[in-house]
Amino acid sequence: MSDLQNDRAQKDTIPILDSDIDDSFKYEISSSIGGEGLLRCLKCGACSGGCPVSAVTDYRPRKVLGNVLLGLREQVLSSKDIWMCAACFTCEERCVQEVNFTEIITVLRNRAVKEGFVAAGYLEMAKNVARNGRVGAKTRAVDSMRAKLNLPELQDPDIEEVHKIMEASGFNEILAKYADEEGKE
Amino acid sequence: MKYVIAWGCLVPSRRSLIGYEAATRKVLNTLNVETVDLPNESCCAPFWMQSLDLTTSIALAARNLAKAEEMGLNLITPCSGCFHSYKRVNHSLNEYPEMKERVDGILRKAGLRYSGDVEVHHLIDFLYSNIGIDKIRDHIETSLEGLEVGLRYGCHMLKPHELLNIEYSERPTFADELLEGIGIISKQYTGCHRCCGGLLRGADDDLADKVLKARLEDALNADLDGIVTVCSLCHLQHDMGQRIVGKKFNIEGLDIPVLHFPQLLALAFGHNAEDLGLDLHTIKTSSLVQKISGGSI
Repeated sequence: MSDLQNDRAQKDTIPILDSDIDDSFKYEISSSIGGEGLLRCLKCGACSGGCPVSAVTDYRPRKVLGNVLLGLREQVLSSKDIWMCAACFTCEERCVQEVNFTEIITVLRNRAVKEGFVAAGYLEMAKNVARNGRVGAKTRAVDSMRAKLNLPELQDPDIEEVHKIMEASGFNEILAKYADEEGKE
Repeated sequence: MKYVIAWGCLVPSRRSLIGYEAATRKVLNTLNVETVDLPNESCCAPFWMQSLDLTTSIALAARNLAKAEEMGLNLITPCSGCFHSYKRVNHSLNEYPEMKERVDGILRKAGLRYSGDVEVHHLIDFLYSNIGIDKIRDHIETSLEGLEVGLRYGCHMLKPHELLNIEYSERPTFADELLEGIGIISKQYTGCHRCCGGLLRGADDDLADKVLKARLEDALNADLDGIVTVCSLCHLQHDMGQRIVGKKFNIEGLDIPVLHFPQLLALAFGHNAEDLGLDLHTIKTSSLVQKISGGSI
């Protein structure tokens, strides 16, 4: 029981006040690429029933959907919940309404990132890609393991292309924004 | 027909995953599939990158597909994360004109263009659909008859099935059929299709451990000679993770060998365990290899 309490995903504020509610939030999400299924949600809970994270914590995809539909913009975007999805797509596979929860999670996370909420580990991986063009750097240890197995030498990614893509897509601005915040701390 | 192979970031560079590449090369070579490595491959920007910015993710993944298109070749990848990313690119560019316009613009600035038409195959589906069990069986030199494994399809090779278009994910059979085709017993066990929590690494390591703990308990209860994975994250979780979870939650008996799918095929084709990187895994695979070479299956 104590274990479950430690894992409490989201603390609720009760009661919900009119001032907590942003009526346009659900339309903002449903008009984004991947968010189209949101308004079809019946809140039946099939998503939570099949969720491997719900099986070991009190995180529930249905609750995230419910809160988005309620319009709890700030609460949803700043919550730990939206970073607890393991992207296994089981809910998406089982949803009779084609809500596509995993795609909605992507929409929510993208918005959260713009508002200053991010999973630090994911950001680190992105910085690695910006630096090396790949998640892990090529090291001498890697080279020698590959040589032992007679595998060809690992090619360097075209880092210039990666930089140009990140610049053109606006991703460098996201990286800069978080670098500034780290600088302030 | 010639194919371009995208190996991904993890497979060619992580100690316990390099064997996935080594075995794949040997298997495709034996089956006379001509391949060339994707030149200067960069990160496919999978789900964790989509979480940060979907458009950036799609444009980064499209970079690798643009190279394949330039070469006039379709693509095979053994990495389920890469497979998912590339399928996502084609889907997004074909379904969302506004995304296509954005990505076209981004690629143009990097001197690239991609139409959205490169065919993307997951290695395991390629072996099943394009090669077939009969041709694979023709190359068997070592019997793996009677070996009892637990196969993990993982999430990103199958789900969502509308996007990936291999097989409905709730009760898939194609990869089991491949293993059974070479005499292996593919045990169906509770939890074999459930998520390993691999993508939670980086977002919440503690949670990743908790989800994995449930999967490892499933595997322990199934009494397997080994676990077989097709996904790099599944392998990292189940192989490296057994040590972490065993210590953290004080679970005894977590010593289950975890093999990459093509390593089993390559063993059946007569290759040595060392040439397949089987000695590089965190959990020793020697008990399973011994069983095969000692003929005690």
